[in-house]
Amino acid sequence: MGTVAHDAEPDADRGAAATLCWWPVRIRWAAAIVLLAAVGAARAAGVVFAAGPLVLVALFLLAGNVLVCRRFSGLVDRQTRTRPMRRQLVAWQAVIDGAAFWAAAYFSGGATSPLAAGCLLPIFFVALLLPKPTAYRYCAAVLAALGLTALSELFGWLPHHPVAYQGADLVASPHPAQALGSLGMIAAVGLLTTGLAGSAAGSWRRQVKDLEHLRQTEAVFNRRLQGIFSILETIGSVRDLNRVLETAVSEVALVMQVKGVSVKLLSEDGKLLRYAAAFGLPERMIREKVVEVERSPLNKRIIQGEPFVTGRVTATEMFQFGEALSEANFRSVLFVPLNLEGRVIGILGAYCETPDRFAAEEVNFFRLAARLVAVAVENARAYEAVTAMSHERTWFMMKVAHNLRAPLAGMLSILEVVRDGYLGPVNDRQGEYLRRLDRRARTMLALVNELMTLSRNRQRGEIESGVTELAALARRVRRTFQDKAAEKRIGFQVSLPEGLPDVRGRLETVEQMVENLVSNAIKYTPAEGSVEVRFSRANGTVRLEVSDTGIGIPAADRPRLFTEFFRSENAKAMEEVGTGLGLAIVKEITDQLGGRILVESEEGAGTIFVVHLPIAAAATS
Amino acid sequence: MTSKGLILVVDDDPDIVATSRIILESNGYEVQAASSGKEALELLSRCKPDLMLLDVMMASDTEGFELAFKLKEDPEFRELPIIMLTAFLEKVRTEGPGPFQFILGEQWPVEWLFEKPLDTKKLLAKIEAIFKSRKMVPGG
Repeated sequence: MGTVAHDAEPDADRGAAATLCWWPVRIRWAAAIVLLAAVGAARAAGVVFAAGPLVLVALFLLAGNVLVCRRFSGLVDRQTRTRPMRRQLVAWQAVIDGAAFWAAAYFSGGATSPLAAGCLLPIFFVALLLPKPTAYRYCAAVLAALGLTALSELFGWLPHHPVAYQGADLVASPHPAQALGSLGMIAAVGLLTTGLAGSAAGSWRRQVKDLEHLRQTEAVFNRRLQGIFSILETIGSVRDLNRVLETAVSEVALVMQVKGVSVKLLSEDGKLLRYAAAFGLPERMIREKVVEVERSPLNKRIIQGEPFVTGRVTATEMFQFGEALSEANFRSVLFVPLNLEGRVIGILGAYCETPDRFAAEEVNFFRLAARLVAVAVENARAYEAVTAMSHERTWFMMKVAHNLRAPLAGMLSILEVVRDGYLGPVNDRQGEYLRRLDRRARTMLALVNELMTLSRNRQRGEIESGVTELAALARRVRRTFQDKAAEKRIGFQVSLPEGLPDVRGRLETVEQMVENLVSNAIKYTPAEGSVEVRFSRANGTVRLEVSDTGIGIPAADRPRLFTEFFRSENAKAMEEVGTGLGLAIVKEITDQLGGRILVESEEGAGTIFVVHLPIAAAATS
Repeated sequence: MTSKGLILVVDDDPDIVATSRIILESNGYEVQAASSGKEALELLSRCKPDLMLLDVMMASDTEGFELAFKLKEDPEFRELPIIMLTAFLEKVRTEGPGPFQFILGEQWPVEWLFEKPLDTKKLLAKIEAIFKSRKMVPGG
C-alpha cells in the first residue's frame, strides 16, 4: 500500500513510548524523597551507617532529575518526539539511575546490601525502552560495577561501609561466597529481566505498529469506498456526460491521492483518443488535444487491454502517449483501459510527482475504478441517446400534426362552403352526411391540435417561468364551461376561497390543464348530474379538485388513464368522439409544473381528479 | 349589383382562396387574390383594396407578417385594414417573436387574427364592422 509508510514510526507508538520514557522521572522524585526519609528514620532509630554519602546519593538523584527535565523538556509536547531523542532520554536516566543505585548499594553495605537489588530497576526500564543489545550491554555494565566493587572490598582496595544497629553489624563484611551468591542472583534476575522485558517490549511495539498499519489501511479503504460511492451516486443522478466525467476524475484523484487524473475517450471508429475530462493537469496541455492511436504504440497497447504503469516515466514515453506533460514533473504514471463488456471505450490515467508511486494493489484498484468510470460514461451516453430519441419523436409528432393542420383547414373550408349552400342548394340527406363529414373532420382537427399541444409541451420540457393568478383562472374556467354545462343540464360550480397564492406556470398552460379535466367531467356526466371545481390550500401546494357524478373510470383502466390515445370502453360507449389525448396533456402539464395528479373513481358514481399545483416562487417568499 | 368593397385575399392554399372568394363574393364583396407576399405587392401596385385577408404562413413561417410590416411602412397602404389568418393561432400567440405581439397591438392595421378553419359568420361580421367603423364608400 503506497500510501502507508512502513519505515516511518507510527504516531500512536511514538506517543506511547514517549510517555513511558517519562515514568522513571516521576519514580525518581519519589525514590529520592523516600531515600532521604529512610536515611533520617534510620538515623533516628539509632542505625549507624554512612548517612552522609546516602544523602548525597538522594541529592544526586534530584539533581539528575532536574537536569533530565531541563534537557528534554521539549520532548513532552513537541511533535519531534523522534526515536533518537527518546533513546537519549532513556540513556541519560539509565546512567543516573545506575550510578545512584551503585552508590546506594556501596554505601549501605556493598554486594549484600538490600539496595543492590535495586539496580534491577534501571535494568528493567532499559530493557523495556532500548534495543536488546543495548539493554544487555547496560545490564552487563551494572553487574560488572557491582562485581568489581565487591572484589575491591574483598581485597581491601575500597573501604567497606558497614550498617550497624545496637552494636551489631547488619550487613557484615560479606564472606566471598555470600557476595558471589548475592551478586549471582542479581545477575541472573538482571539478565532474565533484560531478555523478557526486551521481548515483551518488542512484541508490544510490533503490535502497536500493526494496529497503526491497520488503521491506515482502513482509512484508505474508507476513502476508496467513499470515492466509489460518490461515483456511483453521480452515475445515478447526473445525466450530463461531461459532468459525470468531471466528478469521476476528481473523485478518483482524491481516492488515489494523486496529482492528476485523466479520461481519454476513443472516437467511434476507434482511431482517435480525445481528452474527455482531466483533473489536476495543466489546462493548455489537454485542451483540444487529440491522439492518433495508430501513431502511439503505448496507447495502442493499453487499448488492447494491457495497463501501463511506471514509476520513472521518461519524457520520450510521455511524448509517445501524446501527452506533453514533462513540464509538470510527473514521475509515476498509470494508464488502464476503460473496459465495458469486453469493449475498450477509452483510457483512464493517473499522474503523480512521486517516483515509484503505484504498487500492484493500487493498479488493481485503479482498474476497478476504471470499470466504474466506463459504466458511468456508458450510462450518460445511453441517457443522451434516449433524450435525443425522445426529442426526435416529439419533433416528428409536431411536424406530422403541423402538416395535417393546413389540409384539414382547407377541407373544412370547402365543406362549409358546400354545407352553407354557397354552391347551390343541399338536400336534407346530403346535408346530414355533410354534417357527419364535418364532425369527423373536426374530431381529426381536435386530435391534431391536441397532438400539437402535447408535443409543444414536451418540447419545452422545463418548468415554465410564468405565474398564474387563481382568480383569473377560476373566472376563465367558469366562463368557458357554464353555457355548455347549462346546455347539458349539469350543475357546474367553481369555488375559490379568498387568499390562495399564485401557482407556478403560465395562465394559458394551467388553464389548458384545468379545461381538459373539466371538459372531460362535463362530457362524461349525464344530464342532471353535477361537476365541481374546488381550489384549496394543502401542504405548500394549491389543491385543485375536479369532481363529477359521471360514469366513472373502471378500476382496470386507471393505470393506463394518462397514456396517449387511451380511452375507456364506457367512455367510448357514451361519447363516440374523443381523442384520448386530453388526460395525457393534463399529465404532461402537471409534471412540467412539478405538480402531482391523483384520481379516485367509482364506476357509475363519479370521478374525482386531484391536482397539487406548486405555489409560485414569488408567492412563497 | 354594386360591390360592398374590394378585398384582397393573400394565401398560398388555393382551396382557402377559392372558398374565401365564394363566401366573400356571395356576400357582396369584390375579391382579388394573391398566393404570395410578392404577388400581393404586385397586385397592390395595380389596385387599391379596402381590406386584406392575409395568411401568416406561406412560403416562410412569417411571410404574412413580413408583408404586413412592409405595408405599414408604406404611406400609401398604412391605413389598409388587414385581417390575418393562421392555422396555428396558438403557435403564433405563444411563440411569435416580439414583432408579432406588436402587430397584435392596437396601433397596427392588423385588425384581427383569425384561426383557420374559419368561422365564416364571425369573419363576415368582423369585415362588416371594419367597413362600418372606417365609413368606407362602397367601391373604394
